[in-house]
Amino acid sequence: MQLVDKMPDEPAKPGEFILPELMAIAVAHEVRDDDIVFAGTGLPMVGIMAANLLNAPHALLIYESGICDGKTMHVPMSVADQRAANMSSTLGGLVDTFGYYLQQGYITLGFLGGAAIDKYGGVNVTSIGDYFAPVHRFTGSGGNSDIGTMAGRTTYIILQEKRRFLERNDYTTTPGWWCWDFKTREWKPKKEVWKNTPFANCGPASVVTNMAVYRFDENGIIYLDTNHPGVSVAQVSENCGFDLNVERLKGETPPPTYKELFVLREFVDPELIFLPQKMDYPPAIQSIIDSQ
Amino acid sequence: MPRPLRQRKQVEILSLKDAVKKYMRDGLICAYSGFTGFNRNPVAFAWETVRQGFKDLHIMDRHGSCCTWLLNTVGAMKIFETDWMGWGEMAGKLDISLERLYKAGQIILEDHAHGAMAMRYLAGAIGAPFIPYYAPLGSDIYNPDYDALGRAGLRDGKNPRIAKKKFIQIEDPFFGDGDVVLLPAARPDVAVIHVAQAGDKGTARWRGVGTIDKEIAFAADKVVLICEELVAESEMRKSPEANQIPFFVVDCIVEQPWGAFPSSVPFYYDYDAPFMKGMDAASRKEEDLKKWLDEWVFGPKDWEDFMVKLGAKRLLDLKADSVTGYSTRMMRGKKPAPRMKMPLSVARSGF
Repeated sequence: MQLVDKMPDEPAKPGEFILPELMAIAVAHEVRDDDIVFAGTGLPMVGIMAANLLNAPHALLIYESGICDGKTMHVPMSVADQRAANMSSTLGGLVDTFGYYLQQGYITLGFLGGAAIDKYGGVNVTSIGDYFAPVHRFTGSGGNSDIGTMAGRTTYIILQEKRRFLERNDYTTTPGWWCWDFKTREWKPKKEVWKNTPFANCGPASVVTNMAVYRFDENGIIYLDTNHPGVSVAQVSENCGFDLNVERLKGETPPPTYKELFVLREFVDPELIFLPQKMDYPPAIQSIIDSQ
Repeated sequence: MPRPLRQRKQVEILSLKDAVKKYMRDGLICAYSGFTGFNRNPVAFAWETVRQGFKDLHIMDRHGSCCTWLLNTVGAMKIFETDWMGWGEMAGKLDISLERLYKAGQIILEDHAHGAMAMRYLAGAIGAPFIPYYAPLGSDIYNPDYDALGRAGLRDGKNPRIAKKKFIQIEDPFFGDGDVVLLPAARPDVAVIHVAQAGDKGTARWRGVGTIDKEIAFAADKVVLICEELVAESEMRKSPEANQIPFFVVDCIVEQPWGAFPSSVPFYYDYDAPFMKGMDAASRKEEDLKKWLDEWVFGPKDWEDFMVKLGAKRLLDLKADSVTGYSTRMMRGKKPAPRMKMPLSVARSGF
C-alpha cells in the first residue's frame, strides 16, 4: 500500500488549504474516468493531472503540441514540455491533435482558461476595447476557440471580477451557447449557427472561478452551482457584470480532502510552479507521514 | 507554393552568419519551428537575424516563441499572422514589446485559431490552395470585419503569398454537414527548423513532439535546418522510421549546438525557465530591455560566445538526461524537482 492510499478521504478544514488548491480539485472533479481531455497550459493542466491521480485514472490526456496520453512525473510548464510527453501513447503534431482527434470528434472534454466570459459562456482571450485599437491586447486564441467549440463539453477556469464576467464580450474568441451569425448579422443560439455540423451540441459545460462553480441551463445561460467556502452568494453576485441566476444553488463547493491535498502537493506540483507557497501539512496528513 | 521544379534542390552547409545573410531579406514571410517558447525554437537564427538588422518581416507561424520575442524587442516584425501572440507560457505569457508595438500602430496582427493555422500549413504542405475546417463559427476571429491584412490593403494580390481573402464561409456541398470555413494555404518564403540531428544531405530527425514542423518544411519555398548534430547521411539511413524530414526539401543546414537555447531540444537540453523569466522582466521597461539586448544579443561575438557567457554550470544544469529527455537539476519553481522512479499515474491507470 502506498502512502497516498493511507490518506483519509475526509474534507480538510478551513485554513488547511489555499484557494488555488480548492480550484484545482474543483476542476479535477469535472473529469470523468472515460473522458478524452484536451487541456491548455496553467491551472487546467494541474487540474487534469490531479484528476488522473484521483477520480479519473483512465481519463486520457491530449496536449495540443501532439502529445497523446502522457504519464507525467514532473508538472509541465508548457503543453510542448518533454515532461508532458513522458510515457505517452504516441507523439504527433498539431494536425494530429486538431484534425485527427478534435475535428474527428474524439475529444469529450476541453479544459481551458480565459480572460473574460459572457453569460452564455462565450470567452474572450484576445482583446479588451476596440479590436483594432484595444485597451488591452492579450495572446489571442491559441487552441481555445477550436477546443471550446468542438470538444463535447468544456470547462473554463477564470479569475472572477466584475469586468471579466460580462453580459457580452468586447471580442468573442470562443463562442458560447449564443453567438453572432455573421451571414445574417443576428445574435443566435450556437445550435443554429452550427446547425447540421457535428458540433452543434458541443460547448461550455462549467466554469470554475476563485469564487464559485457555474453551469449552464437549458437556454445556454450561466447559473451559480456552488459557491466556494468563505465566499457568500452576495459576494459572488457583486463580482458579476450581469444579473446572475442563483436559484439553482446546490450549496458550497466541497473543500479538498486530505488525500487530494496530499496528491496535489506531493505529486502534482511539488516544485511550487503553480501553487504559490509551501504550506505545512495539516495534522491529519502529517501524523500519517510521521508514522511511516 | 506548388512549383514544379526543373532541378532538384542542392543542399549547402553554412555557418549561422552566412545562412542568415543568404536566406533572410527584409519583408520576407518566415515560419519558425517548435512550440511556443519551450520546444525547438531556432533561436540562434532569429538572434543572428536581429544582429544583422533585417526588418519588416512577416511572421506566419503557429504562435509566438523566443524567436518572435527577439524580433519584437527591436521592432523587426511588421506583420504577425498567427493564433497565439504570447511566447513563454508559464515563464512569461504576454509579449510586452509586441503589445507596445501594436498600440503604437507599428505592427499588424492577424488572428487565427490554432487548428486553423495547422490546417493552413497542412494545405500549404500538400500543395492545396485552401482547406475546409470547422474553424469556430461565431467567433470574432472569423468575423468579416476583423480582417487585419485586408484592412491594411495587403490582400490586393500584389504579394502572391498573401491570400486575397482571410477566409470564406460556405455550406458543405458534399455531405450537407453544416457550414465550414475555407482557409487559404500558408505559403511562407522561408521555414527555419531546429532539429536534433541532420544528415549532411538534409535528412532530419527530432525526438519529442512534432508540432507542425514537417508541414512548415513542405509549405515553404526555402528550408533552413539548424541542427544540434550534423552527422553522416548514412547514419540517418540506419533507422529511417525515426526521421521526419526527407532530404530533398532542405536548402541549407547549419550545425549550431545549443542553438535553441533558452527553449529545449528534447534529449539534448531542457528549457531555461529562469532565463526566460529574466527576458520577460527585462521587456517591461525600455531601458532594461536595451541593457538586456546589449548584454545578450549585441554583446557576444557569436553564438559560442553567448554560450560561454552563460557558463558551464548553467549548461550542465540544463543538460537533458537520456531516459526522460529533460533535466531535473534546473530550478523551475520555488523547490527543486523530486526524484521519481515511476509516474504515479501509471500505477493508478494500471498500465
